[in-house]
Amino acid sequence: MIKKFLSLFLSPSLSRLLLQPVALVVLLASSVPALAELELTISKTSDDGIPIYIANIPGGATGVIEGDLKRSGRFTIIERPKITNLSAFGGELNGGEYNDITDYIVRGKEHEGGLQVELISTSDNAKTTYTISKNTNPRRVFHKAADKIYEKITREKGAFDTRLAYVTVTNKTSDNRQFRLYVSDSDGHKPQVILTSKQPIMSPAWSPDGKKLAYVSFEDNSSAIYVQDIFTGEKFMLSSREGSNSAPAWSPDGTKVAMSLSFNGSPDIYIVDAKSGDFTRVTTSSAIDTEPSWSGTNSIVFTSDRGGSPQLYQIAATGGKAKRLTFDGKYNSAADIANKKLAFITGNRGAYNVAIKSLSGEGKDFLSNGTLDESPTLSPNGAMVAYTTMKNGENSLAVVSDNSKARQFLTSPVGDIREPAWSPYLNH
Amino acid sequence: MRSIRTKLVVLPILLSALTIVGCSSQNVDKDTTADGSITSSTTTEDGTKTGTVGAGGASGVNSKDSQGDRSNFNYLPGENNGNNTNDITLAGLNNPDNLLSQRIIYFDYDKAAIRPEYMVLINTHAKLLAKYPSLKMRLEGHADERGSRAYNVALSESRAQSVKNIMGVQGALSSQIKTIGYGEEIPIVRGQSQESWQKNRRVEIKYDDY
Repeated sequence: MIKKFLSLFLSPSLSRLLLQPVALVVLLASSVPALAELELTISKTSDDGIPIYIANIPGGATGVIEGDLKRSGRFTIIERPKITNLSAFGGELNGGEYNDITDYIVRGKEHEGGLQVELISTSDNAKTTYTISKNTNPRRVFHKAADKIYEKITREKGAFDTRLAYVTVTNKTSDNRQFRLYVSDSDGHKPQVILTSKQPIMSPAWSPDGKKLAYVSFEDNSSAIYVQDIFTGEKFMLSSREGSNSAPAWSPDGTKVAMSLSFNGSPDIYIVDAKSGDFTRVTTSSAIDTEPSWSGTNSIVFTSDRGGSPQLYQIAATGGKAKRLTFDGKYNSAADIANKKLAFITGNRGAYNVAIKSLSGEGKDFLSNGTLDESPTLSPNGAMVAYTTMKNGENSLAVVSDNSKARQFLTSPVGDIREPAWSPYLNH
Repeated sequence: MRSIRTKLVVLPILLSALTIVGCSSQNVDKDTTADGSITSSTTTEDGTKTGTVGAGGASGVNSKDSQGDRSNFNYLPGENNGNNTNDITLAGLNNPDNLLSQRIIYFDYDKAAIRPEYMVLINTHAKLLAKYPSLKMRLEGHADERGSRAYNVALSESRAQSVKNIMGVQGALSSQIKTIGYGEEIPIVRGQSQESWQKNRRVEIKYDDY
C-alpha cells in the first residue's frame, strides 16, 4: 500500500505540489528500530583558547556547556580540581583570587525547570546572570546557556542550540540497504528519524525557519525533491522533472529553493518557488552545474565543470555571466556559506579535504586532513563546520572549529553516516 | 510489481580485446593518472597504456586501434554465426551468450565520455530499441565515492546521458530511454581502492521484464 501511495505521489503527471498524508510518514517512521545514538570521539581541543572554568552545576549542565565551548575551538576548559574553594551560585566571589588560573568562571543552578548561570570575569569581577527557561529537551536549556556565555565573551552569536540533519545507510552494498534521514541536536544527541527508504535519500537542506527540510529521494527509479515539516511530518513534492532533481538550497527568505535539474539536457541551476513550484533557469551551460548555495539574497555560488574540472562559480540568482571563484587545484566543490564564510571541498593529489575562506577574500585554510572528506556544512555563525570523513571504511561525521583547533567525530554504531546539514538559528 | 533484473555478467570474450589507448583523451590526463582510474596498467615505450580495467573480466590486449576494430571480437551481434545467439532480439536479452545480456558500461574518473570499447555494446542495445519501439530502457548512472555527492549525481546523470545520446544516433527513440543519476549512493563494491572505484563508476542498462 505504501508503494502504491508513493508511486501515486511521484507520478509526474500529478501537479507538482501535492500534500502527502501525514499517516504515511508516521507509518514509515514507526517501522524503524530503536534510534541509534551516535558515538562521540574527541580528537583534539584547543589548549590556547580563552581559559574558562565551569563549576559543577546539578542536573547535567556542566558537561554539555563544557562540550559546547570546547567544540568552538575558542576556549580551554580549566580542569575542575584546579579550583576547590569556590562559593556556590550567588555567593561571594573575588575574581582576582582566580585570575592566575582562569579568565572566566561559570556557576549555575537549576531554576524553575530551567537554568540560571552567572558568568564572572576574573579580571574585573564583572558578573552577568542569565536565566534560561525550561524546555521539553533539557539539553537545549544547557546549549542555550552555552550560547549566552559564548556570545558574551566572543561578541559573536552562539550556535550550540541548533540541529543537525544527516543521512545514515546500513547494508550499503546489498539489496537490503536502508537509508534514514535523521535530525539531532547539534552535538549529535537526541537523534530522531524523519524518513526511511530503501532508495537513496540525499542532500538534506534546512529552511531558514528551521522547521522544514528539503531533500532528494529516489523512489520508483526517479529522483525527486521533497519538502518535509520536521515536526508534523507533512511533506510535499517540489520537483520531479525528468532526469536529475538534485542539490536543493533554500533562499535566505525561505520563499524559493535553488536546485540542479537536468530535464533540459545537462544539469543546470534553477530556482523553484517553494509554494507554487514555478521555476526560473539560472545557468544555461552544457556542462555540469550543481550544488547551489546562496551567497546573498540575489547571488548563488555553485559547482560547474565548464572549465574542464569542477570549480566554484558565483552568479546572480537572475542569471547572467558566472564569475569563477576557485583557481587552485583540480577539484573544488560543495560550497556552503554562513556568516560571510565559504566552506567547500578541495581535491589535491587524490585527497579531498574541507577548506574555508572568507566569501569575498583570497586564499583558503584547510580544515580537514582525511582522504575522502565531503559535504561541509557551516554552523549559522560560521564558527564550526560539520563534514563527512571516511573512518575504517565507513563514513562518519566530524565537527571542526573554523580555526581547526578543536575536532570531534560522531560515529554511527550501525553503519554509514553522511551528508550533515547544520540548521539555522532556532527561534522555537 | 514487475521484477527488474540486473545483469552483472561480463563476457570475457567480448571484452578481452579491451585496450586503453594512451592517447585517448578521455582515458588519460594528468588527473586520471594521478587518481588512477586505471586499475593496473603498464605504459609501453610508445606511450600506449595497456592493462586491466577493473571492470571485471577484462584482460589487457595490446592494440592501439581497438576502437571499432571488428577483428578484436570473436563475433558481432546480429551476425549469423550459426547458433543465433547473437541476434538482436528480445530473446537475446536473456541469453548469457548474447552481447545483449551485458548491461554495464564503465567510465573514467570524473568523465562522462564513452570509452571506445563500449561502442559496440551500446550500439547493440540501441539497435534492439530501434527494432522494438515499445521497448523501454532505463540507464542508471553511478559514480565512485570520491568528490562531492551532489556533483557525483550530476556526473552520473551525464554518464547516462552520454550513453543515451549514442543510442539516439543509432535509431533508439528518446521516449524509450529514461536516465537517472544515482551518484555514489549505490556502490557495487566497498573499499577504497582503484579497483573498487572503477567497478563503481558505471552506467547500468536496465529493461523492465528482462
